Amino acid sequence: MTQRARNWLLIAPSGALLLVMLVLPLSFVFVFSFGERGPSGGYVPAFTLEQYANLPARWTAFKNTLILAPLGTLAALLIAYPLAYQLAVRTDPKWKTLLLVLVIVPFWTSILIRSYAWIYILGGQGIPALLGSIGIENVRLIYTPFAVTIGIIYGYLPLMVFPIYVALDRLDMRLLEASGDLGARPMTTFLRVTLPLSVPGVATGCMLVFILLMGEFLIPALLGGGKVFFVGNALVDLFLQSRNWAYGSAVAFTLIVIMLITVTIYMRLIARLQTGREDVAVM
Amino acid sequence: MRLYSLVVYVFLYAPIAIIALFSFNAGRHASDFQGFSIQWYGRALNNPFVMDALETSLIVAFITATLASILGTLAAVGLQGLRGPARAIFDALIYIAVMIPGIVIGIATLIALVTVFDVMNPWIENLWGDADNAPTLSMGRGSLIAAHTMFTMALVIIIVRARLGTLEQSLGEASADLYATPLGTFRQVTLPLIAPAVLAGFLLSFTFSFDDFIIAFFVAGSETTLPIYIFSSIRRGVTPEINAIGTMVMLASLVLLIVAQLILRRGDRT
Amino acid sequence: MTNDTISKKKFMEELRRYEKGSVTRRHFLHVTGLGAATAVMGAAVPGLRPRPAFAQDIGDRAILATWPNYHDQANFDAFTDKTGAAVQVNVFGSNEEMLAKLQAGGSGWDVYVPTNYTITTYVEEDLIEPLDLSKLPNYDPAAFDARFSDAGIVDGVVYAVPKNWGTTGMAINTSHNGGKAFDSWKQFFDRTMDDYSGRTMVHDYQLTTIGAALNYHGYSFNSVDEAELADAEKLLIDVKPHLFAITSDYQPAMRSGDAWLTICWTGDGKQLNTDIPEIAFALGKEGGELWSDYYAIPKGAPHKEAAYALINFMLDPDVNAREVLAHGYPVADSRTNALLPEEILNDPILYPAAEKLDALEFGAAATLTDPNRAELLARFKSA
Repeated sequence: MTQRARNWLLIAPSGALLLVMLVLPLSFVFVFSFGERGPSGGYVPAFTLEQYANLPARWTAFKNTLILAPLGTLAALLIAYPLAYQLAVRTDPKWKTLLLVLVIVPFWTSILIRSYAWIYILGGQGIPALLGSIGIENVRLIYTPFAVTIGIIYGYLPLMVFPIYVALDRLDMRLLEASGDLGARPMTTFLRVTLPLSVPGVATGCMLVFILLMGEFLIPALLGGGKVFFVGNALVDLFLQSRNWAYGSAVAFTLIVIMLITVTIYMRLIARLQTGREDVAVM
Repeated sequence: MRLYSLVVYVFLYAPIAIIALFSFNAGRHASDFQGFSIQWYGRALNNPFVMDALETSLIVAFITATLASILGTLAAVGLQGLRGPARAIFDALIYIAVMIPGIVIGIATLIALVTVFDVMNPWIENLWGDADNAPTLSMGRGSLIAAHTMFTMALVIIIVRARLGTLEQSLGEASADLYATPLGTFRQVTLPLIAPAVLAGFLLSFTFSFDDFIIAFFVAGSETTLPIYIFSSIRRGVTPEINAIGTMVMLASLVLLIVAQLILRRGDRT
Repeated sequence: MTNDTISKKKFMEELRRYEKGSVTRRHFLHVTGLGAATAVMGAAVPGLRPRPAFAQDIGDRAILATWPNYHDQANFDAFTDKTGAAVQVNVFGSNEEMLAKLQAGGSGWDVYVPTNYTITTYVEEDLIEPLDLSKLPNYDPAAFDARFSDAGIVDGVVYAVPKNWGTTGMAINTSHNGGKAFDSWKQFFDRTMDDYSGRTMVHDYQLTTIGAALNYHGYSFNSVDEAELADAEKLLIDVKPHLFAITSDYQPAMRSGDAWLTICWTGDGKQLNTDIPEIAFALGKEGGELWSDYYAIPKGAPHKEAAYALINFMLDPDVNAREVLAHGYPVADSRTNALLPEEILNDPILYPAAEKLDALEFGAAATLTDPNRAELLARFKSA
């Protein structure tokens, strides 16, 4: 057997799976997006651009998603970075692994159960009751955009901490010492040395969180009280309530295209930022 | 800085503490503590539907992780030596698989498989000759495993490839110079070196599959996985039984992780 | 309570209160004298019990798709003891969701609980099994009020048998309104935009939420008229910033006091009112929904024998009466009503005065499948 034939044989099974479980389903979404809704729901074959013409009816959902995904990513980054820095650079190596594992452990409880715990914490008997007891009355937290933001940061924090930690952990401490020896102030060292070196980790973390946020629907459904509406929620409603497969497919396909474009631009930007340095571990 | 980390850990563990605390609630409502009891643990363990859901989740996650690690590793190795348009297409597919939101994968798989099955079932019936006993294709464990494997396999490819990329090409060549067969080279040189990455991929795939709600929600058909059971229970009004399940799953994962760590450490020493 | 033995009736009352969480377990055990017995029973591991032999083997399970807060778990346990089949309950938020799940295929359900206006759609879509009445000896058509049982019969074929009927009104925590309930959808929405702001919930599906907004304007609950729907949409969008949540699972927030007002079904109203007397249930005088739910078997049910056995069991008047006591939804079965206590039959929440019922409408099949109403709800939710 030639080397080439062997390589083909090695990738054949996974190629077949990608074909059946990715290419085929996505082709269906594409074809269905030109169809029509059946009289009592579902899909009727047709060729019409009507579903795409109707997209503005979900403009708010797209807008909410396109605002929330970057903001949620940024919020998770701002909270995760100092923690990852602390863990990677300022923690006794003896404790590093343990503390890192402790960041991930909450991830092993179902997101459904964790979100339900937040419903209790943010609900009337939780934090608002505590605030009430010190004289701050009538605080409403649950079923607000704030609650959704908390849920998102909570749900995705480990995904952000982990890659940044890995990037910072690889950092050669001698670089920092050298910078200090050369008279740089700690802040300068951080901005000039630490921060640039952690860029690959930041890029990976941001991308992971961003991708997941673009399709999020559970957290807004559970913590937003049905009032905070993203593309993910629109899709669930279209397929599981109003049974409009044609329109739902058009929305889904549009979401895919938007993601492909934003993520490609994002990767180009990061790559440009990184030119001259080692290859970016974006994924 | 220390204080900051402490605050973040409190943030991370406050909900976990609440879940664990209420799992010992004697009362029926998850949100109203009425005294200490371990009755909900007994109930959860004796509830056939919880155990069935747990079993389904474990089986699906195990098969998914196994398939994904094997297929993904093979593909990563195969892709090393592949260039040209085939490689570009494969890379693009992996990239798309990882990037597309779970909800879109779930929906797309659902509409594709339902449509394909609708076409194929009468056909199978004809071929079978006996309409009543002919096998019918439907959404279920198979479609769920296939969907999970597709996504997690892409993750494994990425992880293993990153590891392969750091290996010296010359190692393989040296091995070939010593007249090792390609399989021998793979078994004795490549595999030991990429083993940690494969293991990481396996664990990641298992965790993803075990925890996934969104894809399963659409493609699991009549199968009930643990997250689907939990979702349905939340709608019925949460009883501390759910808290007990969550606490047990978390403790079990923790124990497994510690055991894995111990085994790996011992492996390092020998 | 000092006497050790209590009457059966008292026991059932206490059990119901306990199940709904309104008494503590300790109180329950103390009152019923079960404390010692539980300690003994707790030591026995159910898994080790030998599986008893049953008259007829129907398999080990029946899977039921139903609505929230709609059953008495004790009845399911009794069914399992009698037949050996455990009942798995899947809870849904709306008929739309049930229909979507069945249309997508492979639901795996044995029994489901469609509402009157959906049954013709299920028949058209070939998603519902015609019932073999010989397997439902407890179903006596003559015992049922036709108003609440005729939707189960399509073209002379019985596809579904009645479960419960009820109304869609509102539940209001009256302690924030001087102890008085509201009596109209006008008040419901106007007060939501005023002193009940941030305290109101509406359902997360189109039929009742849009229906209530249509009733506010004096239109039909079932309207699919474009101009009327536009008025309803404007109202809903104006109200949205004042809502606490859009959800069909509204009991927890009403119980915790986070919310004060919600669109509400009969039984939820009864359950809330029983446990928290300040929460009243009321119908809007402009109108609203009158509905009846049915037991049915979906096409391709995997445990059909268990499905028939479960439906038949639930139609037993004794069982049905216990269901009513637990969930507070009325039945159209005169045999069951004969077993219910007087105070239930005279309860204005379960059985509103005739003139109030006359203002209500049954939902229509066209309302369920109307694409414009579905789109309206999406615009409302994303606004």
